[in-house]
This record gives sequence, structure tokens and C-alpha cells, in this order.
Amino acid sequence: MILRDNPVLIRELLVNLRSPRAFALQFVYVSLLGAMVYFAWPANEGQVSSGAAQRLFDLFFLGQFFLVALVAPTFAAGSITGEKERKTYEMLLASPLMPTSILIGKLLSSLTYLVILIISSLPLIILCFLLGGILLSEIARAYLILILAAGTFGLLSLACSSYFGRTSSALVVSYLVILPLAITCVYLTRTNDTTLRDFVSISVLPPWCLMIWSVVVIALNGRLLRPPDVGSEGKEVVDEEQEMKYAIGVVIDRDLFPDKLFAPAKRTDLMPDGTNPVLDKELRSEIFAQGTLMLRVVIQVSMLLSIPLMAFLLFLRPENAGYYVSYVLTFNLLVGPVFSAGSITQERERQTLNLLLTTLLRPGKIVFAKLIAALRVSTVLTFLLTEQLLLAYVLIPELRDRAWTLVIYLLIIATCCLATSTIGLLCSALSRKTSVAMILTYLSLLLLFVGPVGLRWYLQGFAGGISEARLAAFTVSSPYSAAFSIPMKSSQFSTTDANSQASMTQQIIPGINLPVWAVYLIMYPPLCAMLFGLTYVFFRYRWWRAGGT
Amino acid sequence: MIELMHFTKRYGDFVAVDDLNLSIGTGEVFGFIGPNGAGKSTTIRFLATLLRPTSGEGKVAGRSVTQDPMGVRKVIGYMPDDFGVYDGMKVWEFLDFFAVAYEIPRSYRKKIIGQVLELLDLTHKRDDYVNGLSKGMKQRLCLAKTLVHDPPVLILDEPASGLDPRARLEMKALLNELRGMGKTILVSSHILSELADFCTSIGVIERGKLLAAGSIADITRQLRQHRVLKVRVVDETADLAAAIMRDESNVKTIEQFDHTITAEYHGDDEALATLLGRLISSGVGVHSFGEEELSLEEVFMMITKGIVN
Repeated sequence: MILRDNPVLIRELLVNLRSPRAFALQFVYVSLLGAMVYFAWPANEGQVSSGAAQRLFDLFFLGQFFLVALVAPTFAAGSITGEKERKTYEMLLASPLMPTSILIGKLLSSLTYLVILIISSLPLIILCFLLGGILLSEIARAYLILILAAGTFGLLSLACSSYFGRTSSALVVSYLVILPLAITCVYLTRTNDTTLRDFVSISVLPPWCLMIWSVVVIALNGRLLRPPDVGSEGKEVVDEEQEMKYAIGVVIDRDLFPDKLFAPAKRTDLMPDGTNPVLDKELRSEIFAQGTLMLRVVIQVSMLLSIPLMAFLLFLRPENAGYYVSYVLTFNLLVGPVFSAGSITQERERQTLNLLLTTLLRPGKIVFAKLIAALRVSTVLTFLLTEQLLLAYVLIPELRDRAWTLVIYLLIIATCCLATSTIGLLCSALSRKTSVAMILTYLSLLLLFVGPVGLRWYLQGFAGGISEARLAAFTVSSPYSAAFSIPMKSSQFSTTDANSQASMTQQIIPGINLPVWAVYLIMYPPLCAMLFGLTYVFFRYRWWRAGGT
Repeated sequence: MIELMHFTKRYGDFVAVDDLNLSIGTGEVFGFIGPNGAGKSTTIRFLATLLRPTSGEGKVAGRSVTQDPMGVRKVIGYMPDDFGVYDGMKVWEFLDFFAVAYEIPRSYRKKIIGQVLELLDLTHKRDDYVNGLSKGMKQRLCLAKTLVHDPPVLILDEPASGLDPRARLEMKALLNELRGMGKTILVSSHILSELADFCTSIGVIERGKLLAAGSIADITRQLRQHRVLKVRVVDETADLAAAIMRDESNVKTIEQFDHTITAEYHGDDEALATLLGRLISSGVGVHSFGEEELSLEEVFMMITKGIVN
């Protein structure tokens, strides 16, 4: 019953795997990996370089690890909340299915597609093995880590899905829980110390993962057996004051700075004339409609994680400020889309879209309000993490001397916030379901933000003869590249270091050399404006459809 | 007030609504009836400016649904069959949200919200969260939302579906009150007893085609060219009554079941009175004597069975 004849598993697998989209995506994925191996393949046997094979292998492993960390939660975090949102949760719980069957069905169905993608890359990795320089045990170790990570991330996301009422809340908390685990895992398993690497991969990770799996399964079984979140309709209302009374750690007070920036206090009287009602509703009602737990977890986990990162990356080695900014950017990459990618699809899923569309609100006003609301919440939450950066620039003389770099960092982060919100909103206008919009958003962001970095790494290893400046041109869409293009080491300020200088500048207009961060900052605002225009067009003609012919 | 001219909606090969023509006058309460999947909601969604037609046109209060959707939105109050509410909002906030969305100035809003809350008997729920309301209360709230800009036309898609009997009766009373206020109402339902009492006219739709439209009396007349007479007599005079009725030239067929006689009658009211007189003068103990009305359910069943071409 748990595996064979498990109706939850069979139904979800059928729905997920029989679509032509699933096959198309797998085809594109394998083709992409295949192309990478093809172009990296040496022209003759004599050119085989173990370093090249290792680089390709690293790229495959890190790329797939990133994919697992990003995609496992998008599938798993919505699997129970989806049932709650579709009001099928109680029917499922009241069926004769054992909680374990439901759990295993949900987990396996969420992860099957991901595991299929990972396994389909195996033949290509074996080709890298043929290039030499990689041990078979290393490949086995990498796949063990990937499978363990998929299971652990999937189960943790499933736990979040069980604890929260909405997919967006479950997803954002899942990412925040997974982020420190993923960073630690990559750090320990990619360390240069081979003994430590093998010890961690074989002796530490599997038992720890098994322990996490056991604890989560026991907790989830209990919740599914005696669910505390089903019952009368009145329980759907979360009393904010009551919740704050029992809150552990951070308490959100809408009247105080900075909380009021992302969650202004609830109205006690009617809206003033000229207010955009959608914006008002999004900020004052929707954000805390399911309670403050999600935001409290987000703030606390991200802050907690930022403290050791601040110590290591800002105070001990100030030249690594770019890495701390990367953490802030990653936080925004994960959290930003949650507030925008569901903003239109959720209106549809909760059946409020028709009510909204038959009012006198123009589509532009609705879409603009959605963007501003998502952008405001995402930007404030992200900028909470820049306090540490400000502190470092005030306290460390080395950084204080380069105060202008702080301004650039903050601009990069702000632009990243704008990009994640705009892309999320566009995907929301394009999709019918929040889960699809989320996946589409993360894939787009992966392509824009992380893909170019991987491409550069790939080209550096396999396409000889490409200049540093040319390589930098490929990465202008990535905020990570922009952050790392800011000179933080003393040597980078020296104009005599031509190579370093070339890697930091890019010729977008003939004759004008601009650093990557400048190109990034110039490029994104008009790109976001264009994407917003597209969102308007899609919303206007896909949903707000009656007008004109 | 509401006009549909050759409205057709196709989804690929599937024809949801086929060449629908309809006219609803000012102040009318039009009941749109039909089985599930007949095309009621498609028609209603088109009139609510949410759907583009494959062909045809619609007009509400003289405004074109396809050319002037904003104009139409100003004059209609639309209540969908399935709707949700915004979480984390109180009842007054929900109504204020829609009042602002309908561009009602703040100075009028307080009064209007108070009035619709009173009309819908929701004043005591003013400060309750909308997501905590019961289904019946949510239906009322949605109706309150449709009234907030005081539209002359109400388009209500299954307003009483899923309600308990009490809430259903209350909803019916509310619709009667709105009818009294002079609103033109287009209401769809598949619970026919709901519509029979207060609809001034009905339209029957099946498989995307409008089978009949007009007042219930007119449609009944179209369906039955004759009257059905039902006579109940005291038991021992039943045979005598049946014999007298058989002699009557206006009576075509007759059925006797215990002391109840049902007859197909073609005469006028005067001949009917004469027949009653004959029965009484012949010593028949008439318990009840009257014409059997067709219920809306029967009309619906006859039409949708294809009895009417």
C-alpha cells in the first residue's frame, strides 16, 4: 500500500509525468548537458586534460545540486498546501489511507521528476569519467549526495507544507531552512581536503540525513493522523494579537520601523480617496492573512545566518564583501518571487479574480499595485540583511575608504529586488497555477542570474582564446557577477593589472569601457520596464479580456 | 435593459452557446434556467464583460459589452457562482475595498456601506473577518459587494447554491426586496422552486441553445394548448362525476383515480362554471374543483425533454 497501489503516488505521477511538457523539459535538460559535454570533448585523444574533466564534473555536480535545492521545494512545498487550497485535504485525511502512504506518495511524486532529471545526466557524467582525472567513486559520491539532498530538501519542504496553509508561505520557509543546509553541504563536500570530503560525504551526511528523515516523518505522521489545522471555518482566521502574545523570538509590530515598511498597520477607517485599493489590500491584509509565522521565520533564519557570514566575510576578510552580497542576493532570489509569482495566480485560485475584474479598476492599476506590493515586501526583507554590510563599512577602515563600493552594492541588491519581483509577476500573469508560476520564475532567474556564471566557468575551461572581457560580457545579466566585478582587493585598483582590469570592464558601446556592475545597473531598469509592459499585456489580454476585440 | 444578439461562444469544436438572442426589459426579474453545462454561466460571464464572444453582441443599459466594457461594469453588479474572499479583511474593509474599486468618494462610502450592511442584515458582522464567515454569510457579503455601487442591473449566477434551507429562503426574500427596489435582475439557478415565485420571466437553455423565453404563463400556454382540470369528490359520487364529465363535449380525455378525476379540458371559463353547476345539481359531492397549474419544474422538464421544438 505504501509504494504499490498507493493512490496518491499513482495519481500525482500520472498528472506530473504524462504531460508533454515533462518530456520536453527532460529533452531540453539532457540536450543542454549533452551540448556541454560535446563542446568540451577534446578533438583528439592527446588533448585530454584531467583538469578539464574535473571542471566539467564540478559544473555538473554544482549545477544539479543548485537545481535540487531550488526545484525540490517548489514541488514538495505545494503538495500538502495545494490540497488545503483546493479544499481536498480533509477528504484525503478522512480516506482509509495511512498517513505514511499519503506522506510517501506526496514525497515520491514530488521528487520523481527531479530524480529522473538527475539520473538522466548519469550517462553524460560517465563520459566525463572517460576523459580521465575523475574517480568512479567520486561520481558515486556526487550522486549519493544529490539523492540525499533531494530526499532531505523534499521532506523538509513537505514538513513546511504541512505546517503552513499557503504554498507561498511553505515555499519561502522551505528555502530559508534549506539555504544554510545547502551552503554547508556544498562547502563540506567540495573542500580541497579529500579526507574531510570523503569523511563528510560517506560517514556524516547519510546518517544525518536519515536522522532528519526519521524525525520529519514521525512529526508529519502525527500531524496527518491528528491534524490540528482542519475543522470549522472559523479557524481560518488568525488573530494577530493572540499570535504575537505567544510568538517566540522576533515580534512584528506594524506600528514600528522597520516592520511598518513591509506591513503597514491595518486600517481603522475607510481608505482615503485616490488610494489604490489593490495595493492597500495587498500590504495591509494579505501579507498577514495566514499569520505572521512565515515572516517571523524568514526574518529570524536569514538574520541568524547572516551573523557568521558577516563575521567571516566582512570582518575577518573584508575583501570578501562580494560573497556577503551574494548571500543577500541569494536570499532575494529565493524569497523575492514568493511575493510576486503568486500574486495574480492566487487571485484566480482563490476565485477572487472575477470579483476584481468586474470592478472599474484598470488592468494597469491592478498589475502596478501587485508589483509595488511584492517589490516593497521583498526589498524591505532583503535590505534588513544589509545592516551588517553598513556596519562593516562603518567599522572597518579598509572598507570605509571605499565607501562608493557600498553604494554600488546597495544598487545591485535593489536592482536584483526589482528583477526578481518583475519576473515573478510576469510568470504569474503567464501561468494558471501558482506552483507553475513559481517554477517558471525560478527557472528564469536561474537562467539569468546563475546560468551566465556557469557559462563563464565552462567557457574558461573549454573554449580557449576567448578574452576575459568577452567572457565578462556573458555574465552581465547576473547580479553575482556584478557584485564580484567591484574591485575589493588592493591589487584590483592598480591600473597596471591589465588582465584584472579587462575582466572587470565591458564594452557595451564601441569605445566606452564599462565595468560589469555598471552594465548590469544600466541594463536592468529598462529590461524590468519592458517585462512589466509584457506583464500588463498578458494580464490585459489573458485575464482582463472583455474590452475591445 | 439587457440584450443579447446572436451571441455565440465556441471552445474549439465545442459550442458552449449557440446564436443566443434575448431581451430583458427594465425592472424585470429574469430567471435563467438550464441543466448543468447548458451555457448559463458562459452567457452570464459574457454579460459581466469577462468573456469575449466568438460572434454576436450584447448590450446592457444601452452599452456594448464588447466595445464599452467599463461602461457596462458601471451599471452591473455581478455575483459569480463560485467566488472567494480576501483573507485577513474585515467585512467593512471588504466592502470599502470594492467601494474604492468602484470609485465611490469617501464621503459617500460610510453611508453606503452602512446601508448595504443593513439591507443584507450583516451589520452585526461588520467587524468580523470575511474568511471566518459561514457560506450563507459569504453569499450575503458577495451580494452586498455587488450592491455597493448601486447598479441598476444585477447579474447573479446561482446566488443560492450551497445554502441551507433557511439561508435559501432569506436569499429569496432579499432578491424580492431588490426586485421591489426596481432593479433589473438576471438570475440563474437550477433550483427551479427558487425562481418560480419572483421571476417575471424565464429563459430555458440547454446545450447552448435557448429553448424558450418569456413569462412562465406564456411558456405554459405554449406548452399546453389545453387546460388540465382536477376534480376531487366525495367517494361514493366519483363514478357519477366521471360520467357527467365524459358527457361534456369540452372534455377530451379523463382519468379517474379513487375520488380524484383529472381531465383534459378545452372550454372557456364560462363553460367551466356551467360544468361545475351541473356536477353540483346532479348531487355530486364536489370537494375541490380547479385547474391544475404547471410547476416550473414540469415546464423545465417538458422543454428540456425536447417537447417544444
